[in-house]
Amino acid sequence: MKSKKLSEQIIKTFKNNGFVLSEPDVLLDSEYIIQRSGENFRRSMLTFENEDGKVMCLRPDLTVASCVKFLEKKSKSKIYYSGQAYRRNNKKGSDLVNDQLGIEILGSKNQLQDDFKVIKTILNSAEKIKSKNIQVKVGDIGLFKRLINSLDMPERWKLRLIKHFWRPKYFEELLERLEKNSDIDSVTFDTDKKRFYEMKKMEQGKVIAGRSIAEILKRFDKKIKDPRSFSEGKEIVKIIRSFLKINCKLPQLDAKLLDFANKNNLKENIFKEFKSIQSLKKLNQEVIFITNFGRDIEYYTGIVFEIFAGKKEIARGGRYDDLLKSLGAKKDIPAVGAAINLKNI
Amino acid sequence: MKDLITIGLPSKGRLKEKAVSFFEDSGLKILQSDKERNYFANIENKPNIKIIYLHAKEIIQRLGDGTLDVGISGLDLLNESEKSLQDKIGIKQKLNFGGANLVVAVPDDWIDVQTIADLEEVAFDIRSKRNTRLRVATKYPNLTNNFLISKGVTQYKSISSLGATETYPFIGSSEIITDITSTGKTLQDNNLRVLKDGLILKSAAFLLVSKKKAAKLQPFLNSLG
Repeated sequence: MKSKKLSEQIIKTFKNNGFVLSEPDVLLDSEYIIQRSGENFRRSMLTFENEDGKVMCLRPDLTVASCVKFLEKKSKSKIYYSGQAYRRNNKKGSDLVNDQLGIEILGSKNQLQDDFKVIKTILNSAEKIKSKNIQVKVGDIGLFKRLINSLDMPERWKLRLIKHFWRPKYFEELLERLEKNSDIDSVTFDTDKKRFYEMKKMEQGKVIAGRSIAEILKRFDKKIKDPRSFSEGKEIVKIIRSFLKINCKLPQLDAKLLDFANKNNLKENIFKEFKSIQSLKKLNQEVIFITNFGRDIEYYTGIVFEIFAGKKEIARGGRYDDLLKSLGAKKDIPAVGAAINLKNI
Repeated sequence: MKDLITIGLPSKGRLKEKAVSFFEDSGLKILQSDKERNYFANIENKPNIKIIYLHAKEIIQRLGDGTLDVGISGLDLLNESEKSLQDKIGIKQKLNFGGANLVVAVPDDWIDVQTIADLEEVAFDIRSKRNTRLRVATKYPNLTNNFLISKGVTQYKSISSLGATETYPFIGSSEIITDITSTGKTLQDNNLRVLKDGLILKSAAFLLVSKKKAAKLQPFLNSLG
C-alpha cells in the first residue's frame, strides 16, 4: 500500500529527530473533554453511554488525546502519534474517521528551539515524500495579541478581540460593533447603581449562583470605570483591518511591520519579539508570512504554520501554550506540535 | 378507514383549551369521551377524524414518525427537535395563542451582567479563575447552544433540566438558565432576570402537519383557520 509506505517513511523521519511513539487512548471521558473544551466541541464528538451511564467519546483529535495521556504521566514529552481520530463535521462529504500523523513537544522549555524543531522535522518529512513546490506559510497569534494590547481601548474589548480571533466570522461582527460602539447601555445603569450600594453592605463572601458578592461588585465597579463609550473605535478597527492585510515574504517582514507601526503611530517596538518567525530564515525555504492566519483552531497561542505542496496543504501545526492547562494541568505547560495531512499526500 | 385523519392536541392546561377552541371556531365540535381521563376524542359528524391528547413534545415526535397527520404544538419544541425530525414536519399556520419567549436569564443580583457580551466575559472569567465552565441549565439544549455560540459565548457547559429550571442557579446545579416564559412572572418570582439581548426565540402555538401526508390533508386543512 502506497500510503502505508509513506507513513512509514514519515515516522522514520520523526524517530530520527528524537520523537518517541505515544499511543493515546481511543476512548475518552466526554464530560472531561467538554468541561475543558467547551460546549461547541460536543457536536463534533462521537459519543456513547457506557453501562454505568457515563458518556464516553472516541478521541476527536490526537493532539488532545496525546495531551491527556501526557498529563496521566504515561508519555514522554517529545512524542509522535499515528492513528485515527473520530470527528463529526458539518461539511458535506467529510469523513468521520481521519488518519492523523503528527508530532508534539509537550512541556516545551525552549520556545525558539522547539518551534524550529517541529517545523524543521515536519518539513523534512514533507520533502521526503513530496519534494516539489514546497512552500511554508506562517502566522503568529502572539503578534496579533501584542497589537491589540498596545491599542488604546477598553480592557473588555481587548479581551474579546483576542479570545475570538480564531472565529473569523464572529470576529468580523465584533469589529463592526466596535466601529459603531454599539455596546453601551446607560438606561439600566442607574437602577443597578442603587442595588450596588445595597449589596456593598451585605456579607461580601455570600455566593449567588456561583459568584461571590465581592466578585460581582468588583466587576460592576470595573465596568463603570472602564470607559464604555470611546470615540476611537473606528480608528482602531481601521488599524486592526490593515494589520490583518499584511502578507509578505519573510525577508520583507521587518520592514513591513515597521512601516505599519509608523503609519499608524504605534510604538516601533511593539512587534519586537517574534524570533520564532525570524529564525525560519534558516530553513532555506520560501516562507510567506500572513497576519490573517491560523484562525480556525482555538488553541493556538503563538506561531502557526501550514506547509503546502503546490496548492495542497500537506501539514499544519503551531504553538498552543494554554491547552494543557485547560486540560487540567496544575501549572503552565507550553507546547508545540504539527500534523501531516495524509489525505493530500 | 382509508382516509382517517389523526390529530394530536396538547393534553394539558391553557394550550389544550385554546387548541380545542381553535377547532370549534372552525366549526369542528370536539366530542370528549364519557370517561373523564380518556386520551381519545372525536369530532361531531366527522367519523374519519380521530383526536388524541398528547404531551406537546410528544406531538412533534409523533408527527415525525407519521402516527399523527396533524398537530398543534409550540414552535419552541419544533425548533428544538432534531433536524431529521423537523424535516418531516410542515408548518401550516401560526396560531394566536401559546405565545412565549425562550430567553437567557441570570440571577437578579448579578448586577454586572446585563447583556450577552457581559455573559461572555463572565464565562471567560470563570474559566480562567477556576478552570471550570459556566453552567447553563436548560430544557432546550439545541436552541441554547446555537444561540450562545452564535453570540460568542463558547466557554460554557449545558446542563439538561426537566423542570423547575429556575431553581438551578440557587441550589448549585448551574449558574444561569435559559427557559420559556410567557409573562416573566416565574422568572421574576425566582429572582432571575432576562438579559437585554437574551431573546433566543419568540415562540407560539402552530398548526403542524406530517409532510408525507400534506397533499392528502389539504382539503381538511383548508377547512381550518
